[in-house]
Amino acid sequence: MNAPLIRLGRAGSFALLLFLPLPIVVIGATSFAAAGYLRFPPGELSLRWYAEAATDPRWIEAFATSLAIAAVVAVLVTAIAFAGAYACHRLRPRWLPAFELAIMSPLFFPHAALGVALVNVLAMAGYLGTATGIVIAHVVCTLPFAWRPIVVALQRIDGEIVEAASLLGADERRIALGIALPLARSGLVTALLFSFIISFDEVTVTMFLTGPQVTTLPVQIYAFIQENASPVLAAISTATVVVTLLVVMLLERLIGLEFFVAHDPA
Amino acid sequence: MRGATSTPRSLGWLLLPALLVLALFLGSVALLFFHAFWGKDGFSLIYFRQILDRADYHEVFLRTVSIAAIVSVAAAILAYPIAWLLWRLPRWRNLLLVIVLVPWLVSLVVRTYGWLVILGPKGFLNETLKWAGVIQSPVPLIFNDLGVVIGLTHVLMPFAVISTLSVLLQIDHRLEEASESLGAGGFDTWRRVVLPLSLPGVFTGLSITFLTSMGAIVTPILLGGVRQKMAGTQIYQEVVYNFNMSKASAWAICLLLLSALGLALLRAAEAALVPKADR
Repeated sequence: MNAPLIRLGRAGSFALLLFLPLPIVVIGATSFAAAGYLRFPPGELSLRWYAEAATDPRWIEAFATSLAIAAVVAVLVTAIAFAGAYACHRLRPRWLPAFELAIMSPLFFPHAALGVALVNVLAMAGYLGTATGIVIAHVVCTLPFAWRPIVVALQRIDGEIVEAASLLGADERRIALGIALPLARSGLVTALLFSFIISFDEVTVTMFLTGPQVTTLPVQIYAFIQENASPVLAAISTATVVVTLLVVMLLERLIGLEFFVAHDPA
Repeated sequence: MRGATSTPRSLGWLLLPALLVLALFLGSVALLFFHAFWGKDGFSLIYFRQILDRADYHEVFLRTVSIAAIVSVAAAILAYPIAWLLWRLPRWRNLLLVIVLVPWLVSLVVRTYGWLVILGPKGFLNETLKWAGVIQSPVPLIFNDLGVVIGLTHVLMPFAVISTLSVLLQIDHRLEEASESLGAGGFDTWRRVVLPLSLPGVFTGLSITFLTSMGAIVTPILLGGVRQKMAGTQIYQEVVYNFNMSKASAWAICLLLLSALGLALLRAAEAALVPKADR
């Protein structure tokens, strides 16, 4: 008697699941429509919007800027998180819980408030409207996301290996770079790819920080939607979806996606 | 000889970069308060008065809080069956997880643009309905509160799925078996065993999605109308068009206080609904 009910529940849940990628799929379909808008029944197919996007220097520049900022942020924040998390792991200071809470605190800030706060401080330092300013802001925003997978990976390292290395005469440098770093690589790769994708796709905080000199791809998409919603946007948007999809697939291949649904003991 | 535990203090230097980032963040928050409370001649509440004295701003606060409440609850309810599905289909979980994660990580400006293409006056839905002869003139689905609610709910759902699923995966399968061997059907087992155990994950999702929608800017601007202002859009306007950092900072502090209030209420609701042993 319960079997049909469960089957119905599954079908309904599956329909809801397919609702999630719906806008992305619609944009993808639109980007290939010669008419520039999606209609039913579909019209002629074409790559003209991709050609238009690929020959417009504004889009090429924004795309390159976003990729470069995301790459720098990913490397920077992963290095900062590894150094900090490793020191905490080895030293186990008494104030560790308070420190980790402080590291996570940007997560509890609504993005609009975070944006104003960062504008204040970056304007004072003269970094408003520069790539450096955007990198700094993204490092602040992504540190909580890079911190957690690295802490989890460090906790999984067998303490006896470190002890053995130490007894055999390895110095601290050797232990950190020769043992902890390679053994924590699942956390490092997760932190690297996760912070890359957050930085690449971030818009709400970044839109406070861009200027005439520098803008990122998502912020430029936003500006163009407001000006005129040309179908070129569908092609550009699809390109960002492809970048995101590639990074997620890479993460799935290299490490797996369990991290995202691993229970957070905090 | 306890080699591994005798760590030299020099390791502390490794904390320096993280401390710098933290100092930058805390400094920016301190500056936020300074800008909001410091007028031309010292401490002043003038910027707060400029906001709180205006009746139309009261409406903005009310809209922000009610939309955030509606969309976070809607996202939690709509996400639950998806989390349940992923939990029940372990063999497909990785593939299905990609379908959840990619929309979550794709830029929210892109997802919002998708809704513009679907729900716009000349969008896919209106054109299809017109083609099918269901409607004569386009139905206004965006540039109103409905558009903002649809867009934000969709933006928030993936995170609600993830936080619910992470708690569902903690449930010991023997509990379900025990429930069923005691004669409970599938639905009863879910209602009496699985649902109460998964509520902490639902509440984690609610807290984060509530915060996210309180601070949303892009979705309300693009899918809401000129009159559908939210706190985030006001803050953005003060910074980018009026260059009024003091007023923007005061807005941000009001937003932080309202968010904290919402989180406290959620905490209280969780305390009332979830048995202590599960928390």
